[in-house]
Amino acid sequence: MRIAERVVLALALPVVLVTIWWFASAGSTNFYVPPLATILTAFNDTWLGPLIVTDVLPSLGRLGLGYAAALLVGIALGVAIGRRRTLRALLEPVLEFLRAIPPPVLVPILILFAGIGGGMKVLVIVSGCVWPILLNTVEGVRAIDDVLADTCRSYRIGGRLRLWHLVLRSASPQIMTGARQALSIGIILMVISEMFAASSGFGFTIVQFQRGFQIPEMWSGVILLGITGVVLSLLFRLAERAVLGWYHGLRTMDRRR
Amino acid sequence: MRFLLGLIGLIGFGALLELVPATGLIPDRYLPPTSRILATAADEVADARFWNALLDTLITWGLGLGIAVAGGVAVGVLIGSVPLLRAATASTIEFLRPIPSVALIPLAVLLYGSTITSTLILVVYASFWQVLVQVLHGVADVDPVARDTAAVYRLGRWATVRYLIWPTTLPYAVTGFRLAASVALILAITGELIIGSPGLGKEIAVAQESGAVPQMYALVVVTGLIGVAANLLTRTAERRVLAWHPSVRGEVPA
Amino acid sequence: MLAIDGLRKVYDGHGRRVEAIADITLTVEDGEFVCIVGPSGCGKTTLLRCIAGLLRPTSGEVLLDGKRVTGPPPGLAVVFQEYGRSLFPWLRVADNVELPLRAAGVAREKRRRLVAAALEAVGLDDAHGAYPWQLSGGMQQRVAIARAIASDEQRVLLMDEPFAAVDAQTRADLEDLIRRVWALTGFTVLFVTHDIDESVYLGQRVVMLGSPPTQVVEELAVDLPLDRDQLTTRSDPRFAELRGRVYAQIQKAKLEKLEKT
Repeated sequence: MRIAERVVLALALPVVLVTIWWFASAGSTNFYVPPLATILTAFNDTWLGPLIVTDVLPSLGRLGLGYAAALLVGIALGVAIGRRRTLRALLEPVLEFLRAIPPPVLVPILILFAGIGGGMKVLVIVSGCVWPILLNTVEGVRAIDDVLADTCRSYRIGGRLRLWHLVLRSASPQIMTGARQALSIGIILMVISEMFAASSGFGFTIVQFQRGFQIPEMWSGVILLGITGVVLSLLFRLAERAVLGWYHGLRTMDRRR
Repeated sequence: MRFLLGLIGLIGFGALLELVPATGLIPDRYLPPTSRILATAADEVADARFWNALLDTLITWGLGLGIAVAGGVAVGVLIGSVPLLRAATASTIEFLRPIPSVALIPLAVLLYGSTITSTLILVVYASFWQVLVQVLHGVADVDPVARDTAAVYRLGRWATVRYLIWPTTLPYAVTGFRLAASVALILAITGELIIGSPGLGKEIAVAQESGAVPQMYALVVVTGLIGVAANLLTRTAERRVLAWHPSVRGEVPA
Repeated sequence: MLAIDGLRKVYDGHGRRVEAIADITLTVEDGEFVCIVGPSGCGKTTLLRCIAGLLRPTSGEVLLDGKRVTGPPPGLAVVFQEYGRSLFPWLRVADNVELPLRAAGVAREKRRRLVAAALEAVGLDDAHGAYPWQLSGGMQQRVAIARAIASDEQRVLLMDEPFAAVDAQTRADLEDLIRRVWALTGFTVLFVTHDIDESVYLGQRVVMLGSPPTQVVEELAVDLPLDRDQLTTRSDPRFAELRGRVYAQIQKAKLEKLEKT
């Protein structure tokens, strides 16, 4: 009974909203707001076809590549900077400044260096995603427990074991926070880099529909983009649960004490 | 000491950006040296057009942030205080929240063109969720014993909100405000960049199109400085509010 | 054998010079259980960190089996007071105990045996798969002890007020546990504590430290029987005598400090 109850609660409002949307737009003659039924048909025709292969998947691929590169660079640099106090003090204002630049603004700059091809798009994603990861890694590494560090020293746990167990896993909650922020930024940049100046891609296709006044197709693209965001967020949550299972358990225990 | 080191770091960074184009490692067509960027920035500051654009950006940012915070707090307190609403809206919120606000760009452009309204839609949409999530956590954090006490003394709905829910929620709301402020600025500038509504973002797009590279960099530096100032201001505000709150809450991951 | 010779530690910083330890000379024979007591602030932890190789003394030296200690030496394990922060929360109990063995390059089969033996010695053979934060404070400290004794190379055990952060009942259990473990393994144990009763109950010898600049004030041989238990030993008149003597010395040291200032 409890499970059924929860499923109903979870679906109730969405179902109501979609139904309202369906019927409110059913007889719509507004060119810009077509009936939901038309949008869904367009969705089927447009996106469940060659467009997925030519535009959507490459865009997601670039997102994956950029995000992975940002993780590597951000974590590596963050670990290097995090434990060296003078280095942190030296770099902090510079990093704060670079981090405060709204990432989409880097698109025109990177176009100068890399044109409007795939390279630029990946570069844009990397340059935007790296900041939350880098800064959060620095924070996480800085806050490594002193007693744990002493334990490692006294048991002579060094090298790779130390890097993995003391540094990275200690900082992993912070790193994951940065990774989550970076994911949102990455999606935004994936779309922006293609809307601003591009010749192919997910964002580009949607903008083309808008400019060509193919309205139902545009709406369906927007919906697909929304779904993509939700799916990626879900995937991230699963990954987070796997990596930080111990942390959630620890926090629950602490809260109960 | 830290201050001195930080200053050295900044100067070193500036020096690096001065030297790299000078040595030809990266042609100065792509990366103007620091001196030229600063000179161009000085020219910009003397130009009235710059100040108009800055004002436009600040208005978009402030207006969008204000609407988002007001809406987020109101909706958050409402939903948070009624368990049924909380349960019923949970799935919808979880679904709508990760939708990238940039997905709304084509819709906004279609309906409102290159006006400030389009960008406002972006800003409000993205910032609203930041505030809402924090406020929801704040309301959920209300001490159950305190809540029972309020019920026993038959505090009305309004009094409960004022004396029980709001003080607990306030620190979370301020954190939400800080997060929303940064997101709002990013999206305001993004909107101006892509949609072309008036503001600094549009100036950057114009500079890029006309190939005025130093100008573009100068404007980017300015937006960075605004971002830094915004971060500092909101962090100070947050610290002030949390200072007289005996129970300091940590930031709930958004 | 552990030999501390003329150890001196001066802290320099923020325009102040603090001589924490003036001169400590002390020898601990193989297999001995020695307790170090002193008034709070007397540099007990500083001393332990110097012996453990975590801190460089200003002058003097620490010799372990004739070799000078310059960094954490092999054959020496430390059990810290803050057990919660000393165990890795993302590793299960068995993995926590195993980690130093992995660092030392011990083969997998041997590791598994050593871990099992150590956990059994501390009475945790059914907690292999638990996470440290799922256990009580006393059990977590047992895991730390198991980790310290898991190696067959380790010979010296340094303990820095290990039972200070647990409740009295648990402390009594842990005191008996460490004596059992000591009898079982034959380790040399250097046990730092502020609890005078504990020091007499546990040790074969009690070393008393004075106030900073710290020196060894007196060493007392504890001639209580080898077999001790909380009930009979603590009601033994000899126990009261020894305890009184230690207490008097510590009080004297505290008064001297007041007079100095």
